[in-house]
Amino acid sequence: MSSGTDLQRRPDGAALVIALILLLISLVIFWQTSTMRLPPLQARVGPQVFPYGIAAGLFLLSIGTAISAWRGKFPARTRDNYGPVAWVIAGLLGQILLVSWAGFALGSGVLVACTAKAFGRGPLWFTFLCGTVFALVIWFIFARGLQLSLPTGPLERLLP
Amino acid sequence: MNKLLLAALVSSAIAVPAYAADYTIMAPAAPGGGWDQTARSMQQALTEEGISSNVQVTNVPGAGGTIGLAQFATQENGNPNALIVGGYVMVGAILTNASPVSLENVTPIARLIGESDVIVVPANSELQTMDDLVAKLKAEPGAVSWAGGSAGGVDHIAAGLIAKAVGVDPTQVNYIAYSGGGEALAAVLGGQVTVGISGYGEFESQIAAGELRALAVTGSDQVEGIPTLKESGVDVNVENWRMVAAAPGITEEQKASITADIEKMANSDTWKSILETNGWTDMYMAGDEFKAQLESDIESTTAVLKDVGLVQ
Amino acid sequence: MDTFGLLANGLAAAMQWQNLIYAFIGVTLGTAVGVLPGIGPALTVALLLPVTYRLDPAGSLIMFAGIYYGGMYGGSTTSILLNTPGESASIVTALEGNKMARKGRGGPALATAAIGSFVAGLIATLALAFVAPWVVRIAIAFGPADYFALMVLAFITVSAAFGDSPLRGITALFIGLGLGVIGIDLQTGQARLSFGIPDLLDGIEVTTLAVALFAIGETLAIAATSANVKDEVIAVKGSIWMTLEDWKRSWPAWLRGGFIGFPIGAMPAGGAEIGTFFSYAAERRLTKHPEEFGEGAIEGVAGPEAANNASAAGTLVPLLTLGLPTSATAAIMLAGFQQFGLQPGPLLFTSNASLVWALIASLLVANFMLLVLNLPLIGLWVRLLTIPKPWLYSGILLFATLGTLGANGAMSGSLGPIRFSFELMMLLGFGILGYVLRRFGYPIAPVVIGLILGPLAEQQLRRALAISQGDPVVLVHSPLAIGLYIVAAAAVLVPLYLRLRGKGEVLRQLAADED
Repeated sequence: MSSGTDLQRRPDGAALVIALILLLISLVIFWQTSTMRLPPLQARVGPQVFPYGIAAGLFLLSIGTAISAWRGKFPARTRDNYGPVAWVIAGLLGQILLVSWAGFALGSGVLVACTAKAFGRGPLWFTFLCGTVFALVIWFIFARGLQLSLPTGPLERLLP
Repeated sequence: MNKLLLAALVSSAIAVPAYAADYTIMAPAAPGGGWDQTARSMQQALTEEGISSNVQVTNVPGAGGTIGLAQFATQENGNPNALIVGGYVMVGAILTNASPVSLENVTPIARLIGESDVIVVPANSELQTMDDLVAKLKAEPGAVSWAGGSAGGVDHIAAGLIAKAVGVDPTQVNYIAYSGGGEALAAVLGGQVTVGISGYGEFESQIAAGELRALAVTGSDQVEGIPTLKESGVDVNVENWRMVAAAPGITEEQKASITADIEKMANSDTWKSILETNGWTDMYMAGDEFKAQLESDIESTTAVLKDVGLVQ
Repeated sequence: MDTFGLLANGLAAAMQWQNLIYAFIGVTLGTAVGVLPGIGPALTVALLLPVTYRLDPAGSLIMFAGIYYGGMYGGSTTSILLNTPGESASIVTALEGNKMARKGRGGPALATAAIGSFVAGLIATLALAFVAPWVVRIAIAFGPADYFALMVLAFITVSAAFGDSPLRGITALFIGLGLGVIGIDLQTGQARLSFGIPDLLDGIEVTTLAVALFAIGETLAIAATSANVKDEVIAVKGSIWMTLEDWKRSWPAWLRGGFIGFPIGAMPAGGAEIGTFFSYAAERRLTKHPEEFGEGAIEGVAGPEAANNASAAGTLVPLLTLGLPTSATAAIMLAGFQQFGLQPGPLLFTSNASLVWALIASLLVANFMLLVLNLPLIGLWVRLLTIPKPWLYSGILLFATLGTLGANGAMSGSLGPIRFSFELMMLLGFGILGYVLRRFGYPIAPVVIGLILGPLAEQQLRRALAISQGDPVVLVHSPLAIGLYIVAAAAVLVPLYLRLRGKGEVLRQLAADED
């Protein structure tokens, strides 16, 4: 996947994968739409017409993408580091799984710590602490001051 | 439309007391809509009348209230402080969405308010009375286009019931769904459709201004001198009611205490004046009477939705 | 009293010094909250509305107007500087604005956005004051077939945002269209492509998709490359102010944006963002610097920003005259008006004249205040870019998730005993999609545009055909629709013709060279 500018091959494997994904999406739309049960209301332009049209469009686009990939017509890509990307995704996942029971501040602390780590700032405990305190302040402003309903956890309950 | 959100904040943020909530009312809709307004009004009445020291409102929008209902039923089991607002629309949405959670999974407390649908035509329409509309509908059902809210909602159900009552196949009803707000109103005003059918409040100011002519209301009582469907010779009675329910798994004593609180609220002056300003009709009904009414509503709605083909 | 007299009265009231202070506070608060990435104007107004309740009606109205304009401008600021639009209407601004900011021209981009917003806001507010009752008549005359024609035109203009490859542009558009069919079909009540997940029944929230693709996708893309590329962001290069050239290129775009945005905003089913698409497409066609488009053309910021503000004032036309809220922000405003005792509807201009004129005057004053506050602050905003990346992007993600949770806090997903927010999960999923699209050179904006336009076009087409009982002639029956199709055809054919002619000239040139 990490084909840099200089090692651009033909055909472009990653782009072929995209063509395959588009094809799959198109087939899923076809399949899902065909299983719809139709109410006997008006049968003029029904709820299936647009999904079928979109699926057909995606089907053609997947062919176009495959041809384009085969000829190596995709723009050159820079060499990406997946480590930082993984850190950011981990931070977001951590926050998603934490907020409902640990509260907004702790969840967001994890998010901030992981994101900072992705951009090369550490140590984790320090950025986590900064993030939690900052998120707690934000929580207080938005949840208490502006009545936004944000997830509450043990830390938030300590605040008046 | 859940970004409409916190229009909400509107009433709740006026007073922000810091003590624990007595009741948490879930509005299973985005802020600003009917259920949200009902929940916020209950909040106001319950606190101002001193029935509860603090009431919080939460919004869980989506899928005709069924998402909120599902979350409420699973997460609040046995919690005597949790309430949820719901209504007739939810009855239909549970059926059309094949929702795994139904009103049997919560503890209905009382029906609170209701609103009649009204059937309107543009002021320059050839249709003068309900009879004219019925005649046109019988002659050519497809030529009468009805603008109203989303398919399977109360407006659609009312249109289907009217067709059925006058002997027209409900699947022939040419119902054009508009996404809430005033889109249906704009379509009627612009003469894009034959008739409009929606909550009285949606069309009220246009009727007053003479831009629209009201043919009939769907409820059991006249509104502002507009005749009911029954008076116009169409045997249909639908009202879009709203109710409040409590969590599943609460004890009989807890249920009795909640019912008492709601009854006190429904009889209070604050509540009465809220109803007046919002143009809502008091349809308070609790206990076994409400239970029976709810069951019959669910039954008749299921039948209509099957007739128009939305539920199989 | 005539319109001028009424407006003068309103202005006199609004110009009292304490009202000016309220306007100032409103604009400041609105900008401060609106500038947070992921928090768009609708959320900003909703959050800050309660702040206004403690004042007298005139004061609260004017503070409200200030918050409204401040929130809109704040949203554009992050869109330009950080490529993180908080709502769909500032997506187009990000296209050129962010490119400008990356070249150190963030200052002029912000300035043209602020002045353009002011100019267009002024035009549109005056139009609201003087022609609202007539505009609304025309707007109502738009039937489903006319809306469908408008959507066809909008789809054609989308191609302006495709970037360098039509194949990838159309693919991005179709991904958006595909996302658009998810959820309950309005006309039949049947679920489409929702795979039995209740959270999908209401469809994909445009805000969630936009914030995910832009804010999260951008963060991931920057994270992936930050180790390779040394800090290349230059906060300011050259003058922070607009040059004479910038002015010359901006002012026609402001005016065009204003005149495009207002009527689109006034249509009950127009949608604020569509005006920005049209404006961008128009600027791209009319510019004398086509090579700069996609690389940071100032017209591409000036026009859409003006259109956005004008269409926001345009939404007030159906809102005040019919009581129709036609956008998320308008729905919040309706709640606000009701709080001030304004009951929008056909009788409003007669029954509540003084309050309406106070509102219109407030909008004018707040609009002016925005300019006064924000022009001097541009230097400060540009400094946002100098925040160290670890903190800047942590903050962007924090506020993006805060905005999403605030809009839909339902914890409806579950992983064993842990409950989580399905909306946040979608935010992450679309964020990753945004990263992949960027990596492979796909444009981002068409995805969001497809999600907005697809359902609109589909519903209008089906409504038109249902009302006509299946007779397709209805689609080309009204003069409005025919006119729109002609414009659409011209938009396709004229450039094609010019290109062919251009090619012919090249061939002639080649032939001449061979001789």
